[in-house]
Amino acid sequence: MMRILAGLALALVMALQMAAFPAAAQPEGLAKHVTAQLVADQQGVAPGGTVRVALRQQIQKGWHTYWRNSGDSGEATRIKWDLPAGWQAGDFTWPAPRKLPVGPLMNYGYEGEVLLPVAITAPASAKVGDKVTLKAKASFLVCAEICVPEDDDLSLTLPVTAGPAAPDPTWAKPIADTLAAAPKPAALAAVFQPRPGGVALAITGAALKGAELAQAYFFPFDSTVIDHAKPQAIERGPDGLTLTLAPGYGFQGGKAPASVAGVLEAGGKAYELTAAPGAPPPGASGLGPPAAEGQGGDNLGLAAAALFAVLGGLILNLMPCVFPILAMKAASLAGHGGGESHAEARTQGLAFGAGSVLTFLALAGGLIALKAAGSAVGWGFQLQSPPVVAVLCLLMLAVALNLSGLFEVGTSLQGAGSGLASRGGALGAFFTGALAVVVAAPCTAPFMGPALGWALTQPPVAALVVFLALGIGFAAPFVLVAFAPGLLSRLPKPGAWMELFRKALAFPMYGAAAWLAWVLAQQAGADDLAKLFAAAVVVALAAWLAGLAQRRAALGGKPVILTAGAGVLAALAVATVVWPQDEAAELQTEPYSPARVAALRAEGRPVFVNYTAAWCVSCQVNDKVALSTHAVAQAFARHKVAYLKADWTKRDGAIAAELASHGRAGVPLYLVYGTNGGEGVILPSILTPDIVVKAVEAADRH
Amino acid sequence: MIARRSLLAAAVCLGLAAPAFAEPQLGQPAPPFKALDAQGHERSLSDFAGKTVVLEWTNSGCPYVGKHYGSGTMQALQKKETAEGVVWLTVSSSAPDMQGYFTGKTAQAWAAKEHWAGTAILLDGAGKIGREYGAKNTPHMFVIDKAGRIAYMGGIDDRPYADPESLKGAKPYVALALADLKAGRPVATPVSQPYGCSVKYNSAE
Repeated sequence: MMRILAGLALALVMALQMAAFPAAAQPEGLAKHVTAQLVADQQGVAPGGTVRVALRQQIQKGWHTYWRNSGDSGEATRIKWDLPAGWQAGDFTWPAPRKLPVGPLMNYGYEGEVLLPVAITAPASAKVGDKVTLKAKASFLVCAEICVPEDDDLSLTLPVTAGPAAPDPTWAKPIADTLAAAPKPAALAAVFQPRPGGVALAITGAALKGAELAQAYFFPFDSTVIDHAKPQAIERGPDGLTLTLAPGYGFQGGKAPASVAGVLEAGGKAYELTAAPGAPPPGASGLGPPAAEGQGGDNLGLAAAALFAVLGGLILNLMPCVFPILAMKAASLAGHGGGESHAEARTQGLAFGAGSVLTFLALAGGLIALKAAGSAVGWGFQLQSPPVVAVLCLLMLAVALNLSGLFEVGTSLQGAGSGLASRGGALGAFFTGALAVVVAAPCTAPFMGPALGWALTQPPVAALVVFLALGIGFAAPFVLVAFAPGLLSRLPKPGAWMELFRKALAFPMYGAAAWLAWVLAQQAGADDLAKLFAAAVVVALAAWLAGLAQRRAALGGKPVILTAGAGVLAALAVATVVWPQDEAAELQTEPYSPARVAALRAEGRPVFVNYTAAWCVSCQVNDKVALSTHAVAQAFARHKVAYLKADWTKRDGAIAAELASHGRAGVPLYLVYGTNGGEGVILPSILTPDIVVKAVEAADRH
Repeated sequence: MIARRSLLAAAVCLGLAAPAFAEPQLGQPAPPFKALDAQGHERSLSDFAGKTVVLEWTNSGCPYVGKHYGSGTMQALQKKETAEGVVWLTVSSSAPDMQGYFTGKTAQAWAAKEHWAGTAILLDGAGKIGREYGAKNTPHMFVIDKAGRIAYMGGIDDRPYADPESLKGAKPYVALALADLKAGRPVATPVSQPYGCSVKYNSAE
């Protein structure tokens, strides 16, 4: 009776405890999460010989054990040997670990199955024929979301053999493979240097030349050196790489460790290294970050890239924005088909080629300069500015109206072969080339974006070569036609059909104009679209007036008023879309400091941080088209958003470090901190009012 | 030169630490916080202005926490220090459904079972205080001096093992830091590597 009562009481207590500690209800340590055993690469060991014995861990799915540096939490596997007198055990050879992120933390360890080999040396006095039992107590922490310390008493019995023992049929190969793949010193030179953006770890050596570095990662031996969870920014150099590491406890209070040792994993190999304090050598940087995976650009040699660029340039000729212009120009060349004007055709071909190639190079130069200045730009950057988009749209419309026959540019097409046109021919062709590139840009952006993006990660010279190749490819068909009399004579002779052809070609241009109007609507909203449409109507009116004037002039009249009217209207239309918005809403801002952010967040307010600079074009564009709009101002007021500006116009170490910690080398960067704490949300580099409003709403909802 | 370097280091740390882990800086004001305790009272760091405050991150199911409570060393230190006027706040940042998540009730039951002897148990299931302090482990310890500045941060001692045997001969960093503060000495070891289980934050965050 008493026993039953006691049993009931115990059951009650246990039930209460279970209820009180739901998460701890599963008693830990009862079920094993790791099966451990000792395995040897030989079937025995000779006196004085060495056998590799590995601790084999078979780890339950979803669980992991730890590397020698466990990272932010956890504990490395340990082993304590109990060996007969004279026998000696070395340390574990640690295979390169895996990164195991847990929430905001980072661990280093192993999943699945791992072998941790140890060299065990027999004494010379070991007696042949004896069976020796190697005993060890292994302790390891095994974790999934929760952690369980497990211990195992393990043993392995091996005979002492007269000569070298035979390899173990099961374990010789896995152990040898593990040892072969384990991190090894590889004559790499390494130095580290604390910098405002983080600790630079520069590693150079023959093993890294030409290695795939996109996944390069440094696992430190000591857990106090770096903040494990932070990303490691990679910069390649001709002789190696530089990793920018977030400093750990070891760098607190202005101190620095005497050395930084660990494992560099790069290109599928793992190297052991020890870095001393010092300035990084120039060969460890300068080539930018590796191309993102998937683009496959990293292995693309310069020659191959240039070849692709030539092909890309050729294809551009067929783009709807370009083909009409080129087709008409080529057709006009056909007028030079007759003997004496071949030279003229050649001149025009060359002038056109020069015009397009130089325009490509000028755009590339501008892009490189902007990039160097810290602006996050890509190809098509000229399209990030709504006024430019609007003007291009009007230009497309004007070209389309011209093709439709509303007015003529210079002389009529039919007169292209006349002496008058030949005189201005070379210059005209040059500008046709330039114009063709400018109008080609909207088409290049979607098609060539990734390839040009790759080119921009290269040193400026390589980037220029790629752009040059693109220009050559672009100009090639036209120049070829101009230079090949056979081709030229094969082109259909100008005639009445051209008028038809030309009018048909107007429609792709109308399409391009419509597309640009859509782009503008995305960037700037309905108000600007309305302005653009008004301007488009005015442009059409101006074109009609110009055509009227031209026809009067052709009849011998002097239509000064008509011509002037057309010019004024055209200028008015362009001015309408270029003129800055006057309805901009100024937002209250205050200067950024980390302390101010912390204080505002403590008040429970959402915080919007704008990392900007006066020289950053896209920042200014974003300010204009997104941040200074009524919609954003209202959203900020509604959600009581604190708006902080981090101005990077002048050099500022704190801001640079902040940018680096978000993996950015420059501005713009927009961060929105929610009211619930947690990390700031990074907004896209190209803002629209809608993006900002939504982000602010999300920040307040938390 | 030294001043410049530490300024640089401070800039580095501020810059790098802000977004993911607004890690407190040694010698800098401790980040303010507010939370409910196990009894449902609101506690704020400012309530304890002028006092030395210990923050202890805990997780009732973590074997490293078990090492210090099972042996009684944690409770002994809590008892001694609170008797001498130190405020001891035990914080649980385990998310709901994660190991060691505390409601007021479960926290009280755990405190009674372990003979916990601190000032208050703070319920931080949202992980707000934990993230603010960059608390990585259980136990992760912080000592805030009477002026409200971070005087110590890191592990409770120098033995990063779950094995209770490892307590023997351990260097008790927190106890030593508190002794230094009481004696008006600079803290000999103001920063150490924290160790233990990971704080069981809601990973979705």
